[in-house]
Amino acid sequence: MSFLPETENPDALASLAFFKQHFGFLPRVFRAQTARPDLIESQGKLIETLLFGKGSLTRIQKEFILLAVSGANQNSYFPAVHSQALQFLGVKAERSQQVAIDYHQANLAKADVALLDFARKLVLEPQAFTADDVEQLRARGFSEEQILEAVLMVGLTNLLNVVQIGLGTEPDFKPRLLFPPKEVNPAVDSERPMLERPLADESVSADPDAEFVARVKAGDTDAFEELVRRHGRRVYRSLLGILGSAEEAEDALQDAFLKAFQHLPEFEGRARFSTWLVRIALNTGLHRLRGRKDFETLDEDSEDFRPRRIQAWQENPEESYSREELRKLVEQEVMKLPSKYRVALMLRDLEELSTEEAANALGLTIPGLKARVLRGRLMLRESMVSYFAKTSAGVNA
Amino acid sequence: MISCQDFITELGNLLDNDLATEIREQLEAHLAHCNTCQVLYDSTRQTLRIVTDSGSFEYPEPIAEPLVTKIMDRIRAGCELPTTPSKG
Repeated sequence: MSFLPETENPDALASLAFFKQHFGFLPRVFRAQTARPDLIESQGKLIETLLFGKGSLTRIQKEFILLAVSGANQNSYFPAVHSQALQFLGVKAERSQQVAIDYHQANLAKADVALLDFARKLVLEPQAFTADDVEQLRARGFSEEQILEAVLMVGLTNLLNVVQIGLGTEPDFKPRLLFPPKEVNPAVDSERPMLERPLADESVSADPDAEFVARVKAGDTDAFEELVRRHGRRVYRSLLGILGSAEEAEDALQDAFLKAFQHLPEFEGRARFSTWLVRIALNTGLHRLRGRKDFETLDEDSEDFRPRRIQAWQENPEESYSREELRKLVEQEVMKLPSKYRVALMLRDLEELSTEEAANALGLTIPGLKARVLRGRLMLRESMVSYFAKTSAGVNA
Repeated sequence: MISCQDFITELGNLLDNDLATEIREQLEAHLAHCNTCQVLYDSTRQTLRIVTDSGSFEYPEPIAEPLVTKIMDRIRAGCELPTTPSKG
C-alpha cells in the first residue's frame, strides 16, 4: 500500500518491463508511479545510463555508492532491492548489507572507502562539502569523469530514496537489515541522538530494566543509580574491549553513562536497555579511538586467519597454574588481541551477549559478528598454546 | 566431503552449538578422520572454557563504587558532557 493510489494503466507495462528485466521483479516503488508511465521511463533511462551503462566507475563501485548513500539515509528499501541484483554480480548478500550499514567494516580497498566517504559526506553534510573533498578524491587517483559519475550516483540514490519515502512504498520483501545508530560508523559525528532499530530480532519479551528506566524518565534521577550499578561491569568490559586500557575504560565509562542519561528520553524500549547502553558505550569508546594514531588498523585484514600451532593440549591445562596466574595470563593474552576481535570476543564469551545482541551493539551483521568472534577465539587459542600444550612432541602446522 | 577450511568456517557455530543436524554430522565425520581439526577443536574449546572460568576482567567494588558516585554527582550537578577526555 502506498500513499497514492496505484492506477491500472496498460501503457505502464512497457515502462515497467525494464525493471523486470534488470531486477527480476517489479519494485513497488515504480509500480506506485503507474499514473505517469513516461516518468517511470525517464527514471529507468537514468538508471540505465548512469548505473548500468559503461562509464568510468565500475558497476560495483556505483552500486556500493547506492548502498552507502541509502544507508546514510537510513533507507533499507533500496539496499534490499539491489542486494538481489548484486548477487548476480557475485557480491554476497551479507557483503551488500555490510556496505550499507558500515562500509568501513566491509573489507573494501582504501580507494573505494575514500569514494564512499566522499559520497556519504555529500549526502549528510552538504553544507560542509567543498573543493577539498573533490581534491581528496583526485589525490586517490580518481579521474574527473569518475568524480562526476560519483556525484551523479549520490544524486540518483537520493532521488530514489526520497521518492520511496514520498510515495510511502513498503518493502518488496522483508528487509533483512535495519539500521543501527549512526554513531557506530566512525565516519560520522557521534553527538547525534541514538536511534534504536535492532539489526536482528532480539527477544525483547521482558526487559528487566524497564521499571527503573520508566522511573528515571518520570523524573526520578536517583533511580538511574541502580542502572549504573547493574550495568557497570558490562559497560566497563565493553570499553576495555575497545580501548585496551583500564584507565581509559574507567574514564569512558563515566562519559557513556552520562550520555545514556542525557539521551534516555529518546529510548523507546524497542531494544533492551542494556543493548542500547552497550551501543552507547561502544560508540563512546570508538570516538576516543578515533583520536589515536593506530586507528587505521581497524580496517579489516584481507586474509583468513590460519591456525598454525596445532599441538594437543594437556588434559586439564588449568591445573598447572594457580587461579591468580590463570587470571593474569588470560587478561594478558586477551589484551593483546586487536581491538575489533577482542571486543567481539569479550561481548560474546565474557559478557555472554547473544549473537543478535552483540551484532546489534557493534553495528555488524550476524555473519560479520560471528566471523570476528571466531577470529578472536582462534587468535587467542594460538597465543595460549605456549602455556597449555603438552610438553611432548606436537607438530607446528 | 568437507575440507579443513570448511571446518574452520563452521567451528564457531559448532562451539556455540548452533548448527543444523546435517551440518553437525558432516563436521563430526570430518573430525573422525582429521586429527588436525580435532586438535584445533579441542584446544579452542579449552580456550573458551579457560577464558570464561578464569574470573578475568573483574570490576570490583573499590573500582566500581567511586565511579558510581562520580557519575551520579555529575548528573545531579547537571553537567554537560565533556567533549575532551577528562582525567579522574
